Amino acid sequence: MSLLLLAPALLLVGVVFLWPLLRYAWLSGHAASVLTGLVPLANGGANWQRLLSDGRFWQDTLQTLRFAGVSLSLELLLGLALALLLHQPLRQRGAVRAAVLLPWALPTTVMALGWRWLLNDPYGPLNRLIQGLGGSPYGFLSTPATTWLFTVLADVWKSTPFVALLLLAGLQTIPPELEEALLLEGAGPLQRLWRLTLPLLAPYLLLAALFRLAQALGVFDLIQVLTGGGPASSTESLGLYAYLNGMRFLDFGYSATVMLGMFLLVLLLTSGLLLLRRGWQGTLR
Amino acid sequence: MTGWFPPLPNPARRLIAVVLAFWLALAGGLALARARRVTVGVLMPAPFADATAELVQQFNRDHRSVQIAVSRGPLDTEALSDLAISSLLLGDAPYDLLLMDVTWTPKYAAAGWLEPLEPLLGDQALAGMAPGAQAGNAFAGHLWRLPLLADMGLLYWRTDLMAAPPRTTTELETIARGLQRRGAVSWGYVWQGRQYEGLSCVFLEVLRGFGGQWLQHDAGQAPQPALQSPEAIAAANWLSGLVRQGITPRAVATVSEAEALQIFGAGEAAFMRNWPYAWRELTRPGSAVAGRVGVAPLVAVPGEQAAATQGSWGFSLLKGSRHPREAAEVLRWFTSEAVGRQLAIRYGYTPVWTSLLEDPSLEAALPLLPALRQGLLHAELRPLTPVYAQLSDALQRQLSALLSDDQPAALAMARAQRQSALILQAAGETP
Repeated sequence: MSLLLLAPALLLVGVVFLWPLLRYAWLSGHAASVLTGLVPLANGGANWQRLLSDGRFWQDTLQTLRFAGVSLSLELLLGLALALLLHQPLRQRGAVRAAVLLPWALPTTVMALGWRWLLNDPYGPLNRLIQGLGGSPYGFLSTPATTWLFTVLADVWKSTPFVALLLLAGLQTIPPELEEALLLEGAGPLQRLWRLTLPLLAPYLLLAALFRLAQALGVFDLIQVLTGGGPASSTESLGLYAYLNGMRFLDFGYSATVMLGMFLLVLLLTSGLLLLRRGWQGTLR
Repeated sequence: MTGWFPPLPNPARRLIAVVLAFWLALAGGLALARARRVTVGVLMPAPFADATAELVQQFNRDHRSVQIAVSRGPLDTEALSDLAISSLLLGDAPYDLLLMDVTWTPKYAAAGWLEPLEPLLGDQALAGMAPGAQAGNAFAGHLWRLPLLADMGLLYWRTDLMAAPPRTTTELETIARGLQRRGAVSWGYVWQGRQYEGLSCVFLEVLRGFGGQWLQHDAGQAPQPALQSPEAIAAANWLSGLVRQGITPRAVATVSEAEALQIFGAGEAAFMRNWPYAWRELTRPGSAVAGRVGVAPLVAVPGEQAAATQGSWGFSLLKGSRHPREAAEVLRWFTSEAVGRQLAIRYGYTPVWTSLLEDPSLEAALPLLPALRQGLLHAELRPLTPVYAQLSDALQRQLSALLSDDQPAALAMARAQRQSALILQAAGETP
């Protein structure tokens, strides 16, 4: 009976998650490209061998990790600060919350186009400002060493509100009596944050981190629109590389292999985070 | 009423009702659309759909049995490709005709998505078109595509700042530096340097202008990349030299067609490399450089012929079309001389027919015509192979590093050569 009740959910997971995964695993063992007329021909582990020796895959892996790590940590910090601020009884709280949420509500492609314009060299508003202050225009998106920082900036701008929203929900579950009790005992604001708010917020922080990590590791649309992976492929993410192989090169076997490589990476890191939670709960008990 | 429907809070019930109504309306709409006569579905980028809208309406009025239904696709070339490929991968393409970029043809043909055209249109379908417009439509012994309009790289120059356009690379540099020195313009020469297809187009022109080739075809042998030749390195060096000397802004690493047009259109550059479409933008009332722009062939080193990268849009018939005969009829109409003339007069589209290119009466509407005719004589096709996208990607990566990361030209070209050779080798090995 219980299995029957679970069936719809299992079916859904199977169809939208397990089936594509199995299909990708199968494809990654085949040459299925424009050269085979898109007919899948089993080629053993050739795709995986190629993946291991593909310098571009590893470079993109590092670039993706760099992007995800830096943007995730910034988003958690700023999101927490924002959530604490929004939790305060402000005047016009509704309006303030709506304003803060706006970046998250924008479609990524639209906001990426906006950033591309903001960072335009030399006509973008930021460069106008720099020129107005007597500087010379800066190539935000034309320097391989630093362009990735601006992709992070755009991502942080967009996703911090999401983290803040999750954490705000968490903050609202903390009973005010606890805070009052600590206040009576003479705990300062920092102490209250450290001793009360953060521990009780931990599950929410973890949830936000999980969501954002998985999203950041799979980043595609932001990069595609903002830089197209350039300059010199310095901002290319794994998602973009898989897309290139699939949709541009019509090499679906290898594209599936890159996707699976990316999937393994996400799996590894998110399970790492979940293990972290176990440790956490241990100390709380 | 609520007997079988579990009690839900009111807003939820309303939401479900709205969703149900939406799906019913959608299904009804689809059923209605299906009941009509033979309709040939055409997917093209929105600007082309807009430009041909009136002519299509006329066609639909004049024809009873065949109707054309144009789907407006995305403006961006690659986005259109993504849309088309996604629908093709699902097997049953909802379109009969697809307006394709010239570089897609071998890839789509090899993927088995296209129907050969010669059984429907005969062997002479291209006869009467300019040679530069004929190239790139046939591959592996079949005709896959008919061009709607021709396209090629052009050098835009400022007629108020110089007496005549430069012919050689050195002349261009000298004029540009002189104008920059006396403060007439901020930049000498703007072109497309973003890491994308446009960069490959720019490089191919410079490469040919230096006497080099992208792929070398020796008789009896598979084509080999020739990117490490002295000519290719000199070409790469020239492009990065433009940036080093400040003739081209460093920002060129982020510049695509639109950004180049913005800089040149603001009157801040002496020269620009762009496609013919830029002409209308630059000469429209209110343009800062209206009446001060000329068009010339791109530059070359002395003794070499200046070349223009060929880029064109053309129609292909998709495999699985339910009405191939009617679709071929529509294709023939779209690419006809009459339609070409209308598109040239109304929208400045470059005609593919020699008769139109040489028609003096068209020059009033299309002052560019002599330059376009000239450009089509020396149009340079990008490598005609199913793995073109890989070759171009490898080249773009290295050129982008050359322009944005001060990578030496010899190193960038050596890497591009090695990667291109691997790509071609893999293409030759796979059964």
